[in-house]
Amino acid sequence: MATVVLKNVKKIYNGGVLAVHDFNLSIKDKEFIVFVGPSGCGKSTTLRMVAGLEDISEGECYIDDVLVNDRPPKERGISMVFQNYALYPHLTVYENMAFPLRLLRGKEKMSNDEIYERVTDAARILGITQYLARKPKNLSGGQRQRVAIGRAMVRPSKVFMMDEPLSNLDAKLRNQMRAEIILLRKKIDSTFIYVTHDQTEAMTLGDRIVIMKDGFIMQVGSPTEVFDRPANLFVAEFIGAPKMNTFPAKLVKEGKKYHVECFGCKLPVEGEKADELAAANIETMDVILGVRPEHMVFSEKAGDGLIPCEIAVNEMMGSEVHLHVNTLDNPDKPTSLIVRIPTVGLTTAQRQNLVAGTKIYIGFEGKVMHFFHPLSIEDQVLQNVAARKEKGMSAEGIAKIADMGEEKARDLIQELIAKELLADHKGRYVVTPAGKVEAEKIKDTNLLYGPGEEAAASQANI
Amino acid sequence: MADNNTNRKPTPMEALEAENQKNGMGLKARRRIGNAVSYVVLILISIVWLAPFVFLIFQSFEVSSTGWSSRVWPKQWGFDNYVYLFSANANFNRWYFNTFIIALFCCIGQTLMQIAMAYVLSRFRFKMRKPLMNFMLILGMFPGFLTMIILYTVLKDLGMTGANAVPGLILVSIASSGMGYYVIKGFFDTVSKSLDEAAMIDGATRAQVFIKVILPLTKPIIIYAILTSFMAPWGDFIFASYIAFGNPNGYNVAVGLYEWLGTEQISYHYTHFCAGGVVVSIPVIVLFLMLQRYYVEGVTGGAVKG
Amino acid sequence: MAKNVSAIEMLGLNRFQRFGYNFLNFFRLLPGRIANLFVKIGLFFKNLGIKTGEYFRNLVVGFKEGTWQTRLTYLVMGFSNFTHKQIARGILFAGFEVAFIIYMILVGGKNLSMLGSLGVVARQIDDFGVVTYVDNSFRILLYGVLTLFFIAALVYTWSLSVKQAITNQKLDEENKKIKTDKDDLHALVDRDFYKTLLALPAIGILVFTVIPIVFMILVSFTNFDKDHNPPINLFSWVGGSNYGELFNFTAGGASFSATFGEILLWTLIWAFFATFSNYFLGMLVALLINKKGIKLKKVWRTILVLTVTIPQFISLLYVSKMFGENGIVNQTLIDWGWITINNKIYFWKDPNLAKVTVILINIWIGVPYLMLMVTGILMNIPADLYESAKIDGASPVQQYFKITLPYMLFVTGPYLLTSFTGNINNFNVIYLLSGGGPSDINLFKAAGKTNLLITWLYTTTVSDNNYALAAVIGVMVFIVVALISLIVYNLLPSNRNEEDLA
Repeated sequence: MATVVLKNVKKIYNGGVLAVHDFNLSIKDKEFIVFVGPSGCGKSTTLRMVAGLEDISEGECYIDDVLVNDRPPKERGISMVFQNYALYPHLTVYENMAFPLRLLRGKEKMSNDEIYERVTDAARILGITQYLARKPKNLSGGQRQRVAIGRAMVRPSKVFMMDEPLSNLDAKLRNQMRAEIILLRKKIDSTFIYVTHDQTEAMTLGDRIVIMKDGFIMQVGSPTEVFDRPANLFVAEFIGAPKMNTFPAKLVKEGKKYHVECFGCKLPVEGEKADELAAANIETMDVILGVRPEHMVFSEKAGDGLIPCEIAVNEMMGSEVHLHVNTLDNPDKPTSLIVRIPTVGLTTAQRQNLVAGTKIYIGFEGKVMHFFHPLSIEDQVLQNVAARKEKGMSAEGIAKIADMGEEKARDLIQELIAKELLADHKGRYVVTPAGKVEAEKIKDTNLLYGPGEEAAASQANI
Repeated sequence: MADNNTNRKPTPMEALEAENQKNGMGLKARRRIGNAVSYVVLILISIVWLAPFVFLIFQSFEVSSTGWSSRVWPKQWGFDNYVYLFSANANFNRWYFNTFIIALFCCIGQTLMQIAMAYVLSRFRFKMRKPLMNFMLILGMFPGFLTMIILYTVLKDLGMTGANAVPGLILVSIASSGMGYYVIKGFFDTVSKSLDEAAMIDGATRAQVFIKVILPLTKPIIIYAILTSFMAPWGDFIFASYIAFGNPNGYNVAVGLYEWLGTEQISYHYTHFCAGGVVVSIPVIVLFLMLQRYYVEGVTGGAVKG
Repeated sequence: MAKNVSAIEMLGLNRFQRFGYNFLNFFRLLPGRIANLFVKIGLFFKNLGIKTGEYFRNLVVGFKEGTWQTRLTYLVMGFSNFTHKQIARGILFAGFEVAFIIYMILVGGKNLSMLGSLGVVARQIDDFGVVTYVDNSFRILLYGVLTLFFIAALVYTWSLSVKQAITNQKLDEENKKIKTDKDDLHALVDRDFYKTLLALPAIGILVFTVIPIVFMILVSFTNFDKDHNPPINLFSWVGGSNYGELFNFTAGGASFSATFGEILLWTLIWAFFATFSNYFLGMLVALLINKKGIKLKKVWRTILVLTVTIPQFISLLYVSKMFGENGIVNQTLIDWGWITINNKIYFWKDPNLAKVTVILINIWIGVPYLMLMVTGILMNIPADLYESAKIDGASPVQQYFKITLPYMLFVTGPYLLTSFTGNINNFNVIYLLSGGGPSDINLFKAAGKTNLLITWLYTTTVSDNNYALAAVIGVMVFIVVALISLIVYNLLPSNRNEEDLA
């Protein structure tokens, strides 16, 4: 049994930079948890706090119901695979793998024979027996990766951690190793915490995924949950490749039915989505509409509920085609969309026709729509400032992001300062209390599957 | 049209061709001349740099009744000077032994102090780290001889001056050597921190990380530290002469040989000095040539990170 | 010109405009920076005051709310540790307190009380003519300083002991586990391993560097010289009058101030030439050896490096004698008939010739070291930089000025600084070559013309026994080095951009 519980964990670096805000998570025994998010989101920091490589500034961390805040890493019963493998260059592969075993003392102390057995067993499983006598510098990236995993495997531990283990490998090897990790997991049979920035790895490996941004948890859920019911715009765009198309639209309630208005078209909301909207009693409002590229269809002819577009780029991926198209509703400011089309359904003529400049028509069904609260300019500014952490930003920068005049940006800053959301600091603007930004952030949520529901689900998991 | 043709700028390709034609076969010849000039310069430099040592060696074989020589080429060759060095009249044996002892203890003590300091400042983050580093930087700006007189008094109270200068010298040169940690720290900094972390997760204490991971990985710089701290005492003479103050039993080679070149003794001991210089240099040079690789690594690293 | 120019606009300016802008900007920003510095210093002391106030308030509160064990710890250091089974800590604390008390009774108290006067009676001669030495100013000052350090250490350890007592009491109340001796031992090889490693070097530096420097700074405020030399005589405090001598220009050329000025000037000139001649010549030699097509690279390098290997006192002394009045150089020139026995070249007797000679010989000593260093750095310059420069049509000379030199300057910037300050204190080369000579009777105590501040300091100590003035020189060397470091460090490209990051 090895559970990991994080309660209100925070990481504050010297100088007051908040790297992780109030992190709450309960990891079940033998669960495979993936922390995923863009770089600088605090995922590695969180993992390192659990491992004991970083101090926990606030909050509590329990491994197997034991408070480990003040325990050194070696007493936490963990093993870890590092991004750069961290193999000891002066030791052979065998000695690298035997290193943790030789350090065991007291009851756990192992004889040379036992060590030999354990190391060669692990080497056999990982297929690196023939390299045992070599030094790490004589191994390829993939082989080093296996050694690093092997070293973590032989050490008796309750939690197995991996910090971006595949990011130094080339694409082909990465896919292969990913599959091997899935197989390995069955053999190791312990609790896993896996950190990655790659959503594909997260989706394929994790029992549950923790999606993070700027030190906040955006959503916790199974791969299906986060894909089907993204809690907010960030999750929606982060999970799935190519990313979800999102654009402003108007959600209109007409009697008991809903439809959306966008790009001059009127599209009905259907199926479960419509029922859920009705149940949540949503009135007519501006929304951000999200549609995944694979849920869009195209037609060469105009039709009812089809959005006229022009192809900008055609990416032939083999099994499918990614069309980057620009809508034609507003020639000055076209919206850019991505459509994913399986190659199988296309005729040769069609494939030849789908080139840049061709006019096509895009449509999607009512049951594939996702609705999000629109971001106000304030939100955008605050999010961007938060993303830049302590460095803050100038009116010039804000004007660029929010697509407004500098004059207006300055007004906005004044307004935000008045609301105590920003503080003036030598001509730059920084976020004051982290909590305020957090409060603002909640606005950016899925209309239907907001964090409230998610939090409840997370609780239930405990 | 014709005008156009002559006036237009040549394309890069054409320019390159033209250049090649101009140089033609001369390119190789030119390089050869360039190399020849370089060789001449290098040979000249080598002569200038080596000449004093060659002269030193020649003069050390001069057999002269007075002990003074101002000729490069000895009138009469012989080993007299070397014989004198190791004879009972000269204290040279004693000085040589003193220096060797000092060098031995210094290279152990100083290296340990510097490694400890460098490791701490490279790997630990504690509240006093930055203030400590700045403080040592400021201390280093005071000239070393400033404190000579007080150190002398302290050593005198401890009975480590005069004939007993050797332990005193060792003590003083080891005690403050932690301040010379820069080069080693620079090297330690290049070792990835994730190795420390991996070892700690593997169950090592910080002490074990230091001994089992960091030290084996930084062998070159440690050899460099040993080498430099072994070589330094052979040339250290200001403080040594101050502490040994007039008592030849407490001299190291530098002080002893320096004294031979004083106004009263130079006319008698000059050629002895030359022989002594050769004898002192030989072990240092041999050691240096053996470990040259590490020395170069240390010099380069120190400059880049210094 | 001196107005805010954005980074992008800067790119459009030519080199001179840019220099002009930076130059003017430096002075434009100077008042602000200085003001900022003072504000920072003010804030530092304010924070320090607040923190120490808080610190001692906590100690008072701790006493008020303390159990009897805690309260007794205020008197008997380490008592709380003993009652909590922290025997090792207890012994250390109590032991230190006992040692302190013994020291104060035997040595400290007496010396501390006389620190103000530095002694009253130097020696007494009794009726039989037997001399007994009574007060020794040197020792009074030394042990006085030592006592002050001891007291500071006691205050620190005392507050440490009290704080531990308060923590122990708190942990008792919360029923939490108190660290045992075993825990402490474990920590000393793990979490607190740095304390273990630092202990010896820190004590060494404290005893053999910090305390002596404090002592010598104090000496610079006394009249400690050969007429006031304990144990025969006492010396006493004279306030800042030694430093006053530095600015006393009434005595003319032979005054301390004028001599100091002249030696300082030569020290700076020397440091400049010694640093840059070595730097550029070393680079040149390195480029020459590393040139494509030159064979036996290792041999050339080793030949040069020999000079670094051979102890400097041998090579420098030998060369010094070579250029001496009756040395090889003069003798050979006479043999060749270039000069006669009556007009020898007096390398060490003509001040200007001596200065040139030391700089030239310093090149001989220093270039190989630079050559080694530069070779290492040259190999680190990414080859693709040169390749792309070649494609852009740069000639070898342009490549040198556009790539090699800027890269070298950037990488070796800090080295140049340390090398410059190192040359200010380059005792060996000057002392072993010219001994600071030739001496000039127009200077203070006939100081030598090639003296650096550091060699002057040495002769002032050893030959003149004027320890107070030597201490003044030492402190001035420190000020010069610190000022140069501060200015140059701020101009180095490696830290210049820190503020511009947005």
